[in-house]
Amino acid sequence: MPGAMNSATPDLPYFLKALKSRDVEPCIELLADLLKRRQIRTPRLCALATTHLLRRVLADFRGANADELLLRIRSVGRRLIAATPREMVVGNMVRRVLALIREVAEGAILGSDRSVSDEGLDGDSERDGDSEAEKQESRNHSPVRHRPNLSSGISTFSPLKHGATEPASMVPPKAEGELPGTYTPLPIRPSLQTALTQVSTIAPTAQQMFGLFTQPEIDDDPSGVDSPALQSVKSSGRPENFTEVPLKDIKAEVLESVREILDELESVDQEIALYALDHIHADEIILTYTASLTVQNFLLTAARKRKFTVIHVEGYPNESASTVTTIFGGRPQEFNEELELADEPFKPLTAAGITVIMIPDAAVFALMSRVNKVILATHTVLANGGLVAAAGAGNIVKAAKVHQTPVVVLSGVYKLSPIYPFDNDELIEWGDAGVVERYSDQEIVQKLKVFNPLYDYITPDLIDLYITNLGGHAPSYLYKIVMDHYDIKDVNLED
Amino acid sequence: MSTETPAEQILTPEAVDDSSFDVVETYRNLLAMDPDLTMPVAAIESLVLGLAAHPTTTISETLDLLRDLSQRLAESTPNPISLSAGTDLFQRYLIMSLRPGNVPLASKKGTKKLPATDDFTTIRAHLLKHGRSFVANAKAARARIASFGRNLMKEGCTVLTTGGSRVVAALLREAAEGGVRFRVVYVLPPPRPGRPQSEGLDLVKDLRERGVPVATVSEGAVGYSLAGGVGGGKVDMVIVGAEGVVENGGIISRLGTCQIGMLAKAAHRPFYVVAESHKFVRMFPLSQGDLGIEQRIVDFRTDEPNPWDMTPDPVDFTSPEYISGIITEAGILTPSAVSEELIKIWF
Repeated sequence: MPGAMNSATPDLPYFLKALKSRDVEPCIELLADLLKRRQIRTPRLCALATTHLLRRVLADFRGANADELLLRIRSVGRRLIAATPREMVVGNMVRRVLALIREVAEGAILGSDRSVSDEGLDGDSERDGDSEAEKQESRNHSPVRHRPNLSSGISTFSPLKHGATEPASMVPPKAEGELPGTYTPLPIRPSLQTALTQVSTIAPTAQQMFGLFTQPEIDDDPSGVDSPALQSVKSSGRPENFTEVPLKDIKAEVLESVREILDELESVDQEIALYALDHIHADEIILTYTASLTVQNFLLTAARKRKFTVIHVEGYPNESASTVTTIFGGRPQEFNEELELADEPFKPLTAAGITVIMIPDAAVFALMSRVNKVILATHTVLANGGLVAAAGAGNIVKAAKVHQTPVVVLSGVYKLSPIYPFDNDELIEWGDAGVVERYSDQEIVQKLKVFNPLYDYITPDLIDLYITNLGGHAPSYLYKIVMDHYDIKDVNLED
Repeated sequence: MSTETPAEQILTPEAVDDSSFDVVETYRNLLAMDPDLTMPVAAIESLVLGLAAHPTTTISETLDLLRDLSQRLAESTPNPISLSAGTDLFQRYLIMSLRPGNVPLASKKGTKKLPATDDFTTIRAHLLKHGRSFVANAKAARARIASFGRNLMKEGCTVLTTGGSRVVAALLREAAEGGVRFRVVYVLPPPRPGRPQSEGLDLVKDLRERGVPVATVSEGAVGYSLAGGVGGGKVDMVIVGAEGVVENGGIISRLGTCQIGMLAKAAHRPFYVVAESHKFVRMFPLSQGDLGIEQRIVDFRTDEPNPWDMTPDPVDFTSPEYISGIITEAGILTPSAVSEELIKIWF
């Protein structure tokens, strides 16, 4: 990759610049490498990078119909997720885009019944968006899809098994020896279809309970006996695939919706901060942990109107450096990148007249009795309402539980993952043990085993409230937001 | 075709004699013939057969007939909760399908919309023709739950379960076949009238044959089994089935499930329920007394009671606070998601 010889450390701005000048395929490779090397970290940066890339993939895609587009996004998504399996936001953004495509394609099917005029409009605007450079990209696609895929029975795609919700046996195997340009229809998961194709079309989501009344895929009824009327009963409801939706009908709309996701990612902190005054009251003592731009924004917004005290927990060894720089107004390195994208300059809380007390981790329990509220940032939120946050957060929420202190978690919807944590242990990433005990202390290092987990899994019952850019939600309500933002067909991205 | 069970065979409309149709009899026959059939599905099948036996031409006539048949079914059994989940769902399904604006045939472009009467006859014909596919659908749902739930079974884990749930059995069998090494603590209830052999013994035997170590314990040993340490069962999670899942996310299940839920909560072990979504039932019990069925479980007497006078298949209500997740064919739901599913089809 010739461009990678740049002297500057590759980071998100570097990637965004590369995205403008390079072909799609090297861009995918580049992002996968950056993710693997953790040169793009923090959920928001990963989400931004992923969405920008997917937008580019969408814009350059030259296929016939919506199903091919879904397959393409899925395959790109798999590569990115394989690069950083524990960074859930990458998968989240891929699934968001997939759900968008499905939604737009479904709209196109329904719309084509009612009005024919829409089609022409969409086609026109799509043609406008084309450029010469993009056209050259199209040549890259066939070799890409031809490359030996990750479709073997062994999951080479992610070491985690929590994403897999379906045994391989239930998914039709992918055709071997796929020719360039040929296209395999999306794997259809049988029983899910029965839940989604039903006689009545009440609402796309209202169908689960009526799943019993559908024609099962495994129906052994000899074909040909059905009357035409019954066949149309079978095929109604939600469309199973979108092979009949021409790509040009939906592309412009999908691109526009992806643009909206990017806008959401830019403004998420500000939107969450809008709720600050509802939750932080005068003279309260707020305990927080880790240097998070979301939390800092939230507290700063409240500080404009109210005076309160913030207790910031140090978070040794992984978080302490960035915590100190946040409190004293310097900016931790990963903030720099985020702030390059933000409008407002970073201001420490002390500059806003807030008393900030930094305490060691060991003092959390002792001080908790005086704390009014715990406000935490998170790494990922999972479908059951649990979350993965920086190691040490587990101590804090347990202490809060004992003292009946409310725990509020700030998280953009983009961090909310449709994945159910079947195995908590595999969500945890292990970091450099050298920060706990330096390798130069040979005597100790030789005699001890040193671990440095980066994250804690926190169960939903320890959280009182989530504040997202959509508002405040109880942990038990998160499943609903998951259902609104993702399609259950996309939870498992493996072939 | 060759895999038809007896229950599927009698589900051809022609086999039913018009005059002699007895919905209760049909229901019992269906249940007796196919041990894999659940009560709600059997109830739905009976209603379909009832429809076939009574040729109706108008919608309200049909709905009246269904209401009447459902009521007769409910009156015939001491505990109609599970059954009514099926009959309610079926009636609701018909109403929703017939609602104006929900023309089921308007799908692909070019389909001409048919007048309302044709919709009704089409739907009726669809139901009668594919009556037996409901059974297949229900079984497919069970298989799907098993495939979802398998992800819960980690290598080397220990599961505590109870009752004779077919879904739990499917899940454990699937896990055993999938090569997951796990152990099972099976809580066996004492024999009761009409049920000389404890429910679940078949599954225990089956699992043991597949090389899964199973410990059978009495209901009194649940707390002991949930404890860790030497001698304890080191149970990692509890998985139970349910007869009905109620609106607040709680479950109605075999007597003894509630206390297992409480003990699991006390021991901080996850308590999962596996149930198909056709078992969701529209009731909102707050306590054991709200189930609306008569069970003489706590029976104060001054005379000596006859031990064979007990309710044959007693159930209890497990409140949602004890439930970590409900595994349905649509994925893993939190208890609060149940009400939403019900609201979606009822309102």
